[in-house]
Amino acid sequence: MTLVRDVKQVARGWRWTHRPLPPRSAEPHHVFTEPREFPTDWARSRPARVAREVILRAGLGPIVRRETTLHVDGLDVFDGLDEPVVLVANHSSHLDTALLLTTLPVEWQRKVTVGAAADYFFDAWWRAVGSALAFSTFPIERSGVGLSETPLRLLAEGWSVLMYPEGTRSPDGWARRFRLGAAYLASQARVPVLPVAIVGSYAAMPKGRGWPKPGRPEVHVRYGRPLRQADQESPREFGQRISTAVSTLLDEDRSDWYAAMRRAADGATPSPSGPEAAHWRRVWESTASPQSVRRPRPRAWR
Amino acid sequence: MSRPGFVLTVDERTPPLLMHSGESFRLEEFPLGSRVIYPPESLPGVPDVDEAIEQALLHPTDSEPLPELLRPGMRLTIAFDDLSLPLPPMRKPDIRQRILEHVLEHAARAGVDDVQLIAANALHRRMTPDELKTIVGERVFRSFYPDNLVNFDAEDRDNLAHLGKTDKDEDVEISRRAAESDLLVYVNVNLVAMDGGWKSTAIGLASYNSLRHHHNSHTMVHSRSFMDPHASQLHSSAWRMGRVLSEHVKVFQIETTLNNDAFPSQYGFLTKREWEWSLRDQTMFLGAKRGIDLMPAKARRRLFQSMEAPYQVTGISAGAVEPVHAQTLERVHRQQLVEVDGQSDIGVFGLPYLCPYNVNSVMNPILAACLGLGYFFNMYVGQPIVRKGGVLILNHPVPWEFSTLHHPSYVDFFDEVLSVSTDPKVIEQKFEQQYATDPWYVHLYRTSYAYHGVHPFYMWYWCAHALDHLGEVIWVGGDRRAVARMGMRSASTFADALEMATDSVGRSPSITYLHSPPHALAQVK
Repeated sequence: MTLVRDVKQVARGWRWTHRPLPPRSAEPHHVFTEPREFPTDWARSRPARVAREVILRAGLGPIVRRETTLHVDGLDVFDGLDEPVVLVANHSSHLDTALLLTTLPVEWQRKVTVGAAADYFFDAWWRAVGSALAFSTFPIERSGVGLSETPLRLLAEGWSVLMYPEGTRSPDGWARRFRLGAAYLASQARVPVLPVAIVGSYAAMPKGRGWPKPGRPEVHVRYGRPLRQADQESPREFGQRISTAVSTLLDEDRSDWYAAMRRAADGATPSPSGPEAAHWRRVWESTASPQSVRRPRPRAWR
Repeated sequence: MSRPGFVLTVDERTPPLLMHSGESFRLEEFPLGSRVIYPPESLPGVPDVDEAIEQALLHPTDSEPLPELLRPGMRLTIAFDDLSLPLPPMRKPDIRQRILEHVLEHAARAGVDDVQLIAANALHRRMTPDELKTIVGERVFRSFYPDNLVNFDAEDRDNLAHLGKTDKDEDVEISRRAAESDLLVYVNVNLVAMDGGWKSTAIGLASYNSLRHHHNSHTMVHSRSFMDPHASQLHSSAWRMGRVLSEHVKVFQIETTLNNDAFPSQYGFLTKREWEWSLRDQTMFLGAKRGIDLMPAKARRRLFQSMEAPYQVTGISAGAVEPVHAQTLERVHRQQLVEVDGQSDIGVFGLPYLCPYNVNSVMNPILAACLGLGYFFNMYVGQPIVRKGGVLILNHPVPWEFSTLHHPSYVDFFDEVLSVSTDPKVIEQKFEQQYATDPWYVHLYRTSYAYHGVHPFYMWYWCAHALDHLGEVIWVGGDRRAVARMGMRSASTFADALEMATDSVGRSPSITYLHSPPHALAQVK
């Protein structure tokens, strides 16, 4: 019994299920060793791909469609696209990755891999294995230690890479500033960026929930046209264009394609970061499900 | 690059912390906000020890090089620290052996025939031949034992020399052989700041008649601390005596300092900061702890006592006592000193299995008290880690167990003296003389392997400053009867001890844990 107690104490104290952290006051004295990247190549092997296809098509896909009212637009952008892309989306819920992976055309779904926060998805072996198997994730350091070689290699091997340039889930449902990692990656790999807007996932499954709200909340996934870095365009400018493209898609979801295009041309696209207001009002606003795109059923009588 | 020591503030990320408790160790969880003093990491050793020794002997501080002090026909006495240093004992070859061999090579080349080696054990027990051999090495042992490699005998009246008195009327009485030599070479191991300097010769080679002037309750209460020679009356007295001694004999002091590699590599987790424990360290801890808990007591003791530290030598200085010791202190501080901001209501120490007086023996309750209230409590410069009237929590089982071979007078001291009073001043007045002159204890000291009859008194005096300063002392896991005999209280768990401490220091006390061994000397501002 003593041994069991000791093992439990050590397991708890040294966070066996999480990434170990030095005490705050020890950080100035701590020697940070370059974290060893969790190996995920196995998750792109044939058996893992087969297992993932089963998970996505027989498990996750039906669950997403049963638990949410899902609308997908813009899948025609994949027609004729025959090179890997960097998929870039706004991010406000754990539902987002499931939504994207289950709505992609099958042949793209098989060749997409997801950049996931190393300190969250790879802090414990069981979480790392689970996410790598189900979503083909690879770790991304959020601490600004520079671009990992892994996504470049994956793009070169023909895999598309899904990234959330906000770095983390939105705390209030509104988009945050896009970091430039995706733009740099696409720039270095010379591949297009495919912007995606996800609407309603925060209302359906905000931070803190592990399952969508009951009542099949409405969620929209809207794919935009691929963007390529122009010849004289810097990664910073390219990043700005990517951000604007996602904003335009969000605007398009609220209005219509042409009106959004007009506003974009006038530089009047509403900011995806939402109104300047108290936190609770921002949360209140984003917890409303998006407007239904379903046509109202014709009434039998007036 | 060795990282300096620092003070950790326990937060929710802090894993449980390792705590020694006699012949075992465990993990303890500390309240959030507690402070933990971590010693600096081990400094690198000198790249070539033999070269460093030669360098020190040939280029000493404020002295002629050793070869110039040696000549045919002279009387050369070489004294050295006994087995109370270092702790744990050093992996062979002991640094004393290496230095002795260098000194003796010079003496042989100079044609010195009259050489005597004396273990400066003062009133400590004599060392066995095997223990002597461990320290001096096989070559020296075979060349000099038994006639010219001896333990110092502080009760051999014929071989003591009274050199006079200090300006404070303190008798200076030391080994006649040492005092009447043409050259006295002293080889020291300076493990902590208390060691070395004039303490080596003026205390290590002294008789009771001389020691009583500083080994008493008054001096100890006013040695604040005895790990800070500049603020220690014990050291002031030894320095006065040393100056008298230097008028009679030329002393060539050789001092060595060690780094903090106190445990073998397989027990590396004992010296690592807990949050840096690898999975291997965690497994080693669990395995070692479980193994130790299941072991029979004898096997456990044998395991611990057989532990040898892979210490590296951080420096060697030789020459005149005082400047040499200043260099030594600077190196000791570099290895052990940690700045601490202010005192605490509660101090916490985890006491290991070993103190200077139970090498190859049992740590009886008096030695446990001396280790906690004497050595650990005094590991400060400036002011104690615990505030005046604060509480000290000590972790040790305090077994009611004595070695009748090594500590016969301790048995009687514990039964007869502490049952009458635990006040150092009272027991000094009422009982010290009787124990110091008891013929049976003197006989055992001289002919067996017993500590001197007065030695348990000294151990108790070493606690005097802490007993005077603290409001309460609580032992976690201590034998209740043994702890009560010493006038203290015992708690079953660390949490209970903290709860008991609230009686004295309130419900929101500040707590400081001295994470030692290896040694950390707190510079409390």
